[in-house]
Amino acid sequence: MRSYLSAFRLRRKMELQYRGAMLGGIICQVVFGLILIALYRALYAGKPQALPLQHVVTYVWLQQAFFRMLLASDPDLLDKIRSGSIAYDLCRPLNLYGFYYARIMAQKITGSLMRAVPMLLFASLLPQGWGISLPASLPALLLSLLALMLGLLCVSALENITMAFTMRTLDPRGIQAMLNLLMMTLSGNILPLTLFPDSWQKVITLLPYAQLLDAPIRLYTGDVPVGEAWRILLIQAVWIAVLIALGVWLWNRHQKRIVLQGG
Amino acid sequence: MKTVRLYLRSMKMLMKCQLEYPFSFFLQTLAQLVMEGGEMMAVILIIDRFDRVNQWEAGDLFFFFGIMSVTFYLTECFGRGITGNFPYLIRTGQLDTILLRPRGVLTQVLCSAVDPRRITCIAVGTVSMVIGCNLARVQWTVLKVLAMAEAVLLGAVLILALFVIEAIFCIYSVKSVELVNALSYGGRSACEYPIDIYPRPLRILFTAIAPFALVLHVPAAYILGKPLYGWPEWTAFVCPLAGAVFFGLIYLAFQKAMRFYRSTGS
Repeated sequence: MRSYLSAFRLRRKMELQYRGAMLGGIICQVVFGLILIALYRALYAGKPQALPLQHVVTYVWLQQAFFRMLLASDPDLLDKIRSGSIAYDLCRPLNLYGFYYARIMAQKITGSLMRAVPMLLFASLLPQGWGISLPASLPALLLSLLALMLGLLCVSALENITMAFTMRTLDPRGIQAMLNLLMMTLSGNILPLTLFPDSWQKVITLLPYAQLLDAPIRLYTGDVPVGEAWRILLIQAVWIAVLIALGVWLWNRHQKRIVLQGG
Repeated sequence: MKTVRLYLRSMKMLMKCQLEYPFSFFLQTLAQLVMEGGEMMAVILIIDRFDRVNQWEAGDLFFFFGIMSVTFYLTECFGRGITGNFPYLIRTGQLDTILLRPRGVLTQVLCSAVDPRRITCIAVGTVSMVIGCNLARVQWTVLKVLAMAEAVLLGAVLILALFVIEAIFCIYSVKSVELVNALSYGGRSACEYPIDIYPRPLRILFTAIAPFALVLHVPAAYILGKPLYGWPEWTAFVCPLAGAVFFGLIYLAFQKAMRFYRSTGS
């Protein structure tokens, strides 16, 4: 366990290196958030919906703040497989699945926390109707944090499955892009899932993509009352178990067949 | 003329390169379709839920979305060298080789990459425009066709210019600057919808600073027969020129920045 923790810590330090890029990223994300909110405000002015505008605004800010958690990107493994230096990783007395899982987690947590904290501060300073609102209640906040952690486990497992495919195809850009895009749409980044047609929502909220951000945000805003939180947590737990099992199976299978490039 | 031939030849070569890995190429093209399809689905769902924004009805909104994505992805397809690779060229010092050759820097960079995967995005945009025209019952005239051609062409020039800004920043700071994305990609996101639904600061940003509204929205509104801000007809032909002016200014800044350029290579 300790070795996985240190893989996590090393990766976290790497992520912390690029602070300048981070600032640019934050400003960019804030502008995107403001544009989306302006759009939804204009839409709501024409035809108000059952869902309060304030919930949509909060949804947008939380999505923008934790945007980094959605992106699938660990270019290192790709390079290692192409250059053949994956051989060194294979020599480690570690389970490779766990090793990469820890790295993905570190990257997602550090990358997004560094951005989320300043962004949420900024969003909370904006006037009513533009800024983020407070959580529905204290238990709602705690539950949404728990759901965020579980969602993160879920998405990291999903990403590790893509990594397994990387081993096979050598050029994973296609499949990675596909996963990224499914993620952007089905996680509510492009359009809040709460604004999808109600009949679609019943299905979409069950998919693993919705677990990362949509589920915690619904708990935060109180769209899902605290009493029904167990349903979300249960769905998340099931997905984590299924995706990790599938991932481990694929990694073990592909690891045996891996062809080392280079000499 | 020679430059155009050079560009076409490079494009042909680069296309061949891309097709060397057909399966990966196919998947990536498909991914682009999913991406743009997702964006269009968002528009469809928004229209389904909200029906309209101010005076803009469903057809108008599809048309605005369509003209934006066609323009943006045509630029990303044929201007890939500038929209994608430039910061990389600077970081790795590969720009030096370009400086040695007897052609302009931007020309060569334009010749250095093409991105045929975007074809599916352009297709989605076209479909959206056709749907929009049908829903809004657009009566096409020669003038309207001309206005659209001008808008798309100068829109592409404007978007290229926005990416050249990133290149300029990159010359000074070596690392690519995500900040500029707020203008280019942010402009795309915002201006998929008509500009007059936004509050004043955003309107100013995308009219006076990055003139998406002048280049794309004024002609689009003219084609739809609902002039933006009630401006007269001729503005639909004059306003897009802002794109060319913008490119000219950025080009001058770029020339200046190139004099500052110091190689990172060894």
